Amino acid sequence: MLMTFAQSLSETSLHSWVVSQTWLWPTLEVTHFFGLTLLIGGLLVVDLRVLGAAASSPLLATYRLLPIVLVGFGLNLITGVLFIFGDPFRYAANIGFQAKMIIICLAGANALYHHLKVTPLLSAASLSADVPMVAKVSAAASLLAWTTVLLLGRLIPYVGTG
Amino acid sequence: MLLWLENTPIALWVSLSYWAYPLLLSVHIIGLSVVAGIFSMRDLRALGIVRDPPLSLFLRYHRLALVGLVLNFISGLLLFSSQATVLIESIPFLVKMVCVAMASAVAFILDSRLNAAGGYEVRGLKWLAGLSLCLWMSAIVAGRLIAYIF
Repeated sequence: MLMTFAQSLSETSLHSWVVSQTWLWPTLEVTHFFGLTLLIGGLLVVDLRVLGAAASSPLLATYRLLPIVLVGFGLNLITGVLFIFGDPFRYAANIGFQAKMIIICLAGANALYHHLKVTPLLSAASLSADVPMVAKVSAAASLLAWTTVLLLGRLIPYVGTG
Repeated sequence: MLLWLENTPIALWVSLSYWAYPLLLSVHIIGLSVVAGIFSMRDLRALGIVRDPPLSLFLRYHRLALVGLVLNFISGLLLFSSQATVLIESIPFLVKMVCVAMASAVAFILDSRLNAAGGYEVRGLKWLAGLSLCLWMSAIVAGRLIAYIF
């Protein structure tokens, strides 16, 4: 089923464009690296603060970095889609890629949960109050998930049949 | 000397073992995201792209950024050892080394100035932060191009 989807992607003009320019693939890769730097850099600051690093500084102030995290994610979503269009059969057959996509969905669900359920708790808490456990679990899950995504991405060329 | 390096047991393990390269590259990308990620956040804040958190917060993350840099130094050295004679002539590799060295120097300068400032204005903050951001981004670009230009 993934293969028929890959087949249809390989017949699109977007696919033809991506493969037609030799400079494009390295440009996409570099942009993908920029995106991951922004995403992970931002989340390291926020999540580690939630987990207790730099405890004397205001917690919610770090959340102002989240738009940058989203920019990083957006860059990677766009470049990622272009990668898929550029080499659909490879990704359809690659277990590392498939696992990466699943973890990204889980990380996204965790992020949504954090935004909808955890952030209001943090706003309500006073500066000196302990950070609620649910916030810490969510922050730890975020770091774990995105590190896994990073590693799976790196391993794509080395695992699976694609 | 580089040929000697390439033939040391550890360098041979790197080049011959199936999992050495992916393992080292994995460590290398984690280190990259830690050091370039943290410093990029500090630089974007210093440039005023975001107005929060306070700059002094980033001082508390500098040691973690240093861990990232050390991870990359070690994994980088191992990666280099297996292809030393080739990489020493690679322009992207040499450019990357210069960028990383300069970016690290800028990070050191910013660290000492932020520490000294104690919440007051930091001398030369914006141009140092802009330079830092450009250097880390350039290191990433150059690093990626190593595989393409030889």
